[in-house]
Amino acid sequence: MPTNDRSLDSSLPRRTGIWLAFACFAVLGAAQAYSISNSPAEGDMGHLQKIMYVHVPAAWMTFLAFFVVLVFSVLYLWRRREAYDLIAASAAEVGAVFNGLTLALGMIWGRPTWGVWWTWDARLTSTLVLFLIFIGYLALRGFVDDPGQRARWSAAVGIIGAINVPIVYMSVMWWRTLHQQPSSPSTLDPAYTLGLRLNAIALLLVMIYFIRRRYEIARLERAAEQAAQMAAMGGR
Amino acid sequence: MIASNETFVIAAYALTWLVLLGYVWRLVSKDGRARGDYARVSGRGEDLR
Repeated sequence: MPTNDRSLDSSLPRRTGIWLAFACFAVLGAAQAYSISNSPAEGDMGHLQKIMYVHVPAAWMTFLAFFVVLVFSVLYLWRRREAYDLIAASAAEVGAVFNGLTLALGMIWGRPTWGVWWTWDARLTSTLVLFLIFIGYLALRGFVDDPGQRARWSAAVGIIGAINVPIVYMSVMWWRTLHQQPSSPSTLDPAYTLGLRLNAIALLLVMIYFIRRRYEIARLERAAEQAAQMAAMGGR
Repeated sequence: MIASNETFVIAAYALTWLVLLGYVWRLVSKDGRARGDYARVSGRGEDLR
């Protein structure tokens, strides 16, 4: 399952990548500007409600990224194609970024609404466990040198980790928690629905861009690793 | 002193942009390092876009 040089040529030209990044962040900025300026102050929380436009989409992107990890980990174990392992690893790293962001934004929202930065509530704790599992996943990839073993072990951890996602989602229904029930366009006042949708779409574009770029870099890293091994064996 | 609600909202949005742009920075530096490593070991780095 070598990463050959030809496969590297399908990566985006640098200039296209820069423009794509710029476009994704411009959409995100526009979605945030729209939602901040158009949503009225909420009855109980006032303007604190506006944190929802970043916190909730970040949590959705966490779930989505780890779903990608699950799908590509299963595909790797089934087909043993290196690209599937690299996509899963790229999604895991991006998912960990969004997971960490979700936790931090939740703390910023929790302090003025609950009076505490952190509580060992079922939703918060299960989200933290999810974060730690994927930090472990990324650490594992750094420890194992053999690419085949690294891919198999990562796939196993990725699948186990992704199983935690439904637990995180359902935690507010299964246990009595301080955290509110899940926010979605169907449970929101219509005044906030469009803003939430726009921010979710914008963050989805950013996430797709991140995973794509990370995957291209992972292929390059893998190709360099293989070239170094070939050189060490005198096969250049 | 208790921060106002607006302070928390500003902090949330500032953190979001800091984290996302920080990750872009990490990708750019990782990309540069990977391209350099690949060029060094394979001798075809200039072919990479």
